[in-house]
Amino acid sequence: MMHDLLLKAVNNMQKMGAEFCDARSQTIKNIGIQSVNGDIRHLSDRTVGGVCLRAWVNGRWGYYSSTSFNAGDVKKAAGTAVANAAGSPRGCKDLNVTEIKTKKRQGLMIHPDDVDMKEKVSAVLAVDSAQTSEKVLNRVGSYSEEITKNILMNSVGSEMEWEEVRTRFRAMSVASDGQRMERYYNGPDGTCGYELVKNLDIEALGRETAKEAVLTLNAKRTPSGPMTVISDPMVSGLLAHEVMGHASEADEVVKRRSFLTDAVGKKVASDIISMYDDGTVDGAHGTILYDDEGTPASCTQIIKNGIYTGYMHTLESASLMSVRPTGNGRSENYGKRIWARMTNTFFGPGDRTLDDLIADTKYGILCDKMVNGMEDPVGGGFEAKVLRGFLIENGKITDMLRSFTLTGRALEILGTVDAATKDIIFDGGMCGKGIEDWVNVSSGGPYCRASIIVGGG
Amino acid sequence: MNIREIAVDSLKYAKKMEHAESYVLQSVTHSAYIDGSRISNIETKIDSGMCVRVADENKPGRACVTLGDAKDSENCVNSAIRVSSFSPKNNKFKGYPMPSGPAVDVKGVFDKKIEDITGAELRDILSAVIGSCGSEIPRGLLRLSVIGSAVANSNGLLTEHRSTMMYGHFTSMFRGTRNGEGTESLHGASLTIDPEHIGKELDRKARASASAIPFKGSEKMTMILPPCELGDMIMSSAGSALNGENVFYERSPWTGKMDKEVASACLTLTDDPTTPGPLCSAFDDEGTPSQKKVLVDNGILRSFIRDSFVGNSTGNGMRRNSTDAQNVYCSSVGIRPMNMIVSKGAYSQDDIISQTDNGIFVEKFAWPEADPLTGRFGLEVRCGHIIRNGKITDTINNSLLMGNMFDALANIEFIGNDAVNIGCVTIPTMSFSGTELAGN
Repeated sequence: MMHDLLLKAVNNMQKMGAEFCDARSQTIKNIGIQSVNGDIRHLSDRTVGGVCLRAWVNGRWGYYSSTSFNAGDVKKAAGTAVANAAGSPRGCKDLNVTEIKTKKRQGLMIHPDDVDMKEKVSAVLAVDSAQTSEKVLNRVGSYSEEITKNILMNSVGSEMEWEEVRTRFRAMSVASDGQRMERYYNGPDGTCGYELVKNLDIEALGRETAKEAVLTLNAKRTPSGPMTVISDPMVSGLLAHEVMGHASEADEVVKRRSFLTDAVGKKVASDIISMYDDGTVDGAHGTILYDDEGTPASCTQIIKNGIYTGYMHTLESASLMSVRPTGNGRSENYGKRIWARMTNTFFGPGDRTLDDLIADTKYGILCDKMVNGMEDPVGGGFEAKVLRGFLIENGKITDMLRSFTLTGRALEILGTVDAATKDIIFDGGMCGKGIEDWVNVSSGGPYCRASIIVGGG
Repeated sequence: MNIREIAVDSLKYAKKMEHAESYVLQSVTHSAYIDGSRISNIETKIDSGMCVRVADENKPGRACVTLGDAKDSENCVNSAIRVSSFSPKNNKFKGYPMPSGPAVDVKGVFDKKIEDITGAELRDILSAVIGSCGSEIPRGLLRLSVIGSAVANSNGLLTEHRSTMMYGHFTSMFRGTRNGEGTESLHGASLTIDPEHIGKELDRKARASASAIPFKGSEKMTMILPPCELGDMIMSSAGSALNGENVFYERSPWTGKMDKEVASACLTLTDDPTTPGPLCSAFDDEGTPSQKKVLVDNGILRSFIRDSFVGNSTGNGMRRNSTDAQNVYCSSVGIRPMNMIVSKGAYSQDDIISQTDNGIFVEKFAWPEADPLTGRFGLEVRCGHIIRNGKITDTINNSLLMGNMFDALANIEFIGNDAVNIGCVTIPTMSFSGTELAGN
């Protein structure tokens, strides 16, 4: 039924003058559970869905989206999408779209639909209870699952249907000693099923999170100024994602907004650094089967041994730069615009161990978990807020440090990276383009050592 | 059925529940985008959905759906009931609001110009912004929404709200030896937009940013923040400390400080739903009458803001936000001011600068935000003007401004007279002593 409606919409848009068009329906089902101090604070079942029609005319996109869509709406909706694309030509060439006929489901061990809600609630309450400690003011447990079903038809004949599943489990403790408050969080996420929770030692997760929050109460103020910093995989990932990643989104490059415009072939980092955006990483939170334009996910190498190698593309940016689309045309949902977006963005491994790096550092800081970061595709600046860290003196960790911020120019920082560890860790989250349009991503990398400006509040 | 009828009708499926509430929202949104100084995408968005909350024996559950066909509201209620059956008892649950008449008269939150906007008119507005900006505009968005919402609950409460919303965000870029970026954001309930002013401000900010040089060294100085940078700083600090849920869970740093000094004596904060802000309404999104209330009076804490979960609601249980109407019905009720106003002072920006011996006027942070628990901040300054003896001497970037926002609120030097609405806060330029700037 929905296939027929979407096909009809595509045919109507073509008849009305669309040079290329697609029609997509999406249903997103989300279960969210959150507890605070042993009470279930939120328990919700959310199902949102709608259709999005896109018409490409003279190098412009016209969009129409609606939560209600039936046979009577098709003609009017198609007409609105085509009319919204009106205006003077923008000089883009034809889009390079390959016909795909597919029906796929992501491989899972335990589909969340097959697990009783009672079990999920019990898991959240268990991680909440495990955080019980004298100085822990707030114990928070949370679980979420998201099942996204997509159907896409387009004017080159593609007929696609696919499903993605993401799960996340978190513990967060707020500790207080009566004077200060600090927090700590931990927990896994990924494109996977309920096995994420089944394979977890919930008791240990809660207990360790609470313990770390309490320990952070004794953390000292972080020194300020340029320092040797060992970024943990989360902060390494933030550097990869926020600065080099956002500036490598080709829609920023075709309008020459990115500081990495014309950077292909240039030296942008030390030889140790290689960087990728890979939408196919098994189980990572940003993994997708296809992007929202129907292009299969792929791995794009962005930096190879310090040399800049390439961008992430939508259909439009790929056409403008005469390359193949990379499967990075993503939108928050059926009602939002498609942009060039990242998937799983990370630095490749080095050859050291963390113990090596610490022993080899005379005076510096080891980061422990990020809070957030902000992109700067124009200036190439970097800002990362770090949850806490450790002071390193003469090769040994001597103190815990409270939250601080890292900043500097990305290329200068990457040019100073002199060591990286062997293992890569991914951390899932949501990424906005500017200040909205949130999509599921992950970022990561090894521990990396570089010179960065540090400031503690 | 209209939204009012859908809200009331859906409750019949929840008759066996002790408590039930239905929130329905419909919106029509027109958006236009600028890409590379050209108008690119135009979007038309029709959105309709509902959220149902139920509770029986203090076991709450919630479900949300987009409304596509006639069965969706019944399905939504059944999902909420199903979910609540898995919930343990929560003895903190106090039920949903009782019916009551409005406490305030709200005007100026619906603009017929937004309802009647056409794609051609949107293009004209954006063309005027592009035409008046001497720098490039790589990205821009203007989004106009007509929003209707209704709340009904099993206590017999029924409220309805109709409003319009404007949100805009533009970035400019000046190409020089170093490229510089400027940004402008717009929030409001009406289409009050001066495209020429926006274009000129974008140009000025981009040129200033391009001329900035890295700051060297480290020194204590006064921080002067214009409304666009201060709004989120105030919301993430004072806004979070005033949030009744944070007080309820004892994580607000202002817990236990009622009628005590929390800020400089020159600071007065009022939540005023009678003003034409994008979230202002006679009832909050739970149907509780909103009220004008003084939160901080000359530096003394006078009130927190609350929803029905915390109890003794002040009419601040909100689902809506000031930027996007889509999927609002999926948002949990959260405590938010409708329009938190900082009482304006007597000084222009120039007055404040001229009376500052050693300071920084921040044109743009990477992202203005303080830690809500501790108030600490360390923010990358992407463009700031250094002030020595009342005069701007340098424009700098590549540095960190560090401090604590709760301390800053107790160290206010000047409050400006240039208040601007930034979503759910209306705020003027303010200056604070005791912050530290560090560069390379």
